[in-house]
Amino acid sequence: MAFLIQGRIFGLICLLFIMAAVAYYIRQAQGGKVPKVRRIPGIDAIDESIGRAVEMGRPVFCSHGIATLRDSTAGPQTIAGLSVLNYVAKRCVAVGAKIVVPVRQPEVWPIAADIVETEYKLAGKAEEYSSECVQFLSNNQFGYASNYIGLMMREKPGANIMVGAYWAESLQLAETGSRIGAMQITGTAQTSQIPFFLVTSDYCLIGEEIFSAGAYLTNDAMLIASLAGQDVGRIFAVILGLLGAIVFTMGSRIFLDLFAM
Amino acid sequence: MTIIATLLQVIPYYFDIPVLSNVASTATNAVLLIVACATFVGVISVLMVHAKRVQRRTEGWYFSGLIIVFVVIMVLTGLPLQEFGLGSKNSIFNWIFTNIQTPLGGTMYSILAFFITSAAVRAFKARNIEAAIVLVSGTLMVMGNAPIFTNTVPVLVDISLWIRNIPNMATMRGVMIGAALGAVALAVRTLMGIERGYLRGGGED
Repeated sequence: MAFLIQGRIFGLICLLFIMAAVAYYIRQAQGGKVPKVRRIPGIDAIDESIGRAVEMGRPVFCSHGIATLRDSTAGPQTIAGLSVLNYVAKRCVAVGAKIVVPVRQPEVWPIAADIVETEYKLAGKAEEYSSECVQFLSNNQFGYASNYIGLMMREKPGANIMVGAYWAESLQLAETGSRIGAMQITGTAQTSQIPFFLVTSDYCLIGEEIFSAGAYLTNDAMLIASLAGQDVGRIFAVILGLLGAIVFTMGSRIFLDLFAM
Repeated sequence: MTIIATLLQVIPYYFDIPVLSNVASTATNAVLLIVACATFVGVISVLMVHAKRVQRRTEGWYFSGLIIVFVVIMVLTGLPLQEFGLGSKNSIFNWIFTNIQTPLGGTMYSILAFFITSAAVRAFKARNIEAAIVLVSGTLMVMGNAPIFTNTVPVLVDISLWIRNIPNMATMRGVMIGAALGAVALAVRTLMGIERGYLRGGGED
């Protein structure tokens, strides 16, 4: 196997193991055995927040983060945010709420606009869609943040849903949303920003919960089954970590050599 | 298409197959070109939104007019035409960037301190045992980084370092591992073609 790249073989084995676990649980789900998923209050609250905004006659803000789709760590968070946007747009169109989607990355803007416009078309309300629903604010981080803050202060949304990759502007956006009285549901896998979201928002999705949001919201059996495969990977990581710590403490480098394989 | 594009990037990462590596590299370069073209889409979106506001004279329309003026000035003066005196060395372009954009960005970054204070006043209340632990550890961290306290009580530095390097690091690593596994699972679902939430009309009712 000379064409396997050194240093990445163990990673390939882990990836194949997780894929096999996901495939196994999907096969189980197709046979009717769908695993139970614990309730995630933040995701359950999305409907409540949209309903609140409709009752107050205020718009719903839904952003998917400030990262591109190409980044290896933040790109998946943007995809998760777009999955949430898909659901939020569907619900807003159904209940007649105005949705506003602030966008930072120009390459993501067409995707977000397409998602929102398609939901209007699927509901037979194509004429109600306006291109101002999905606004490109600025490619500059704090240009985006100041524009978003200004939008919130003027429009005073009833709900502010922010799921995706955020950096320093996260606290500014969430704190502003808190001050204007918006119901806030936030979520990110950026470990440095999670504490800011926790203290300023009503509900916060932490880490891998944002990647489960798409499966959770669609309630699709195969997607939910894939979450069980993800859990198998987590158990595998915990076992490896514990065994590695014990074995290394005893003076053996076997696990280090295994990881470097 | 999604599955093919994903495999095209994943396989060369683990297997040394020169043909596939070249194709993956070409695909990556093509993506960069598309992203560069998408920059214009953003500018068009900004102009469309703000031009409508100016046209309708909505509240604050003059700010929209200002945005349009600055977009046009920066685009024209930033054009890569060195022989006409335009581009990154143009004096107007540099003046606006140095004296308007950079200070405004710095201002936005610096008011984070006030946002943190405001959030801390609301959040650091000892309603229960967990909140009390957050309050105490947060206070110790702040004191451990302020010379006014560390000069009189030097052990605060060690305490704050311990909080950051032991319990905080353990929690962050746990969240990072979980998030990484979640991203892998999302990638596997995308690879298998069952994750369609980010596609238009994806998902079922």
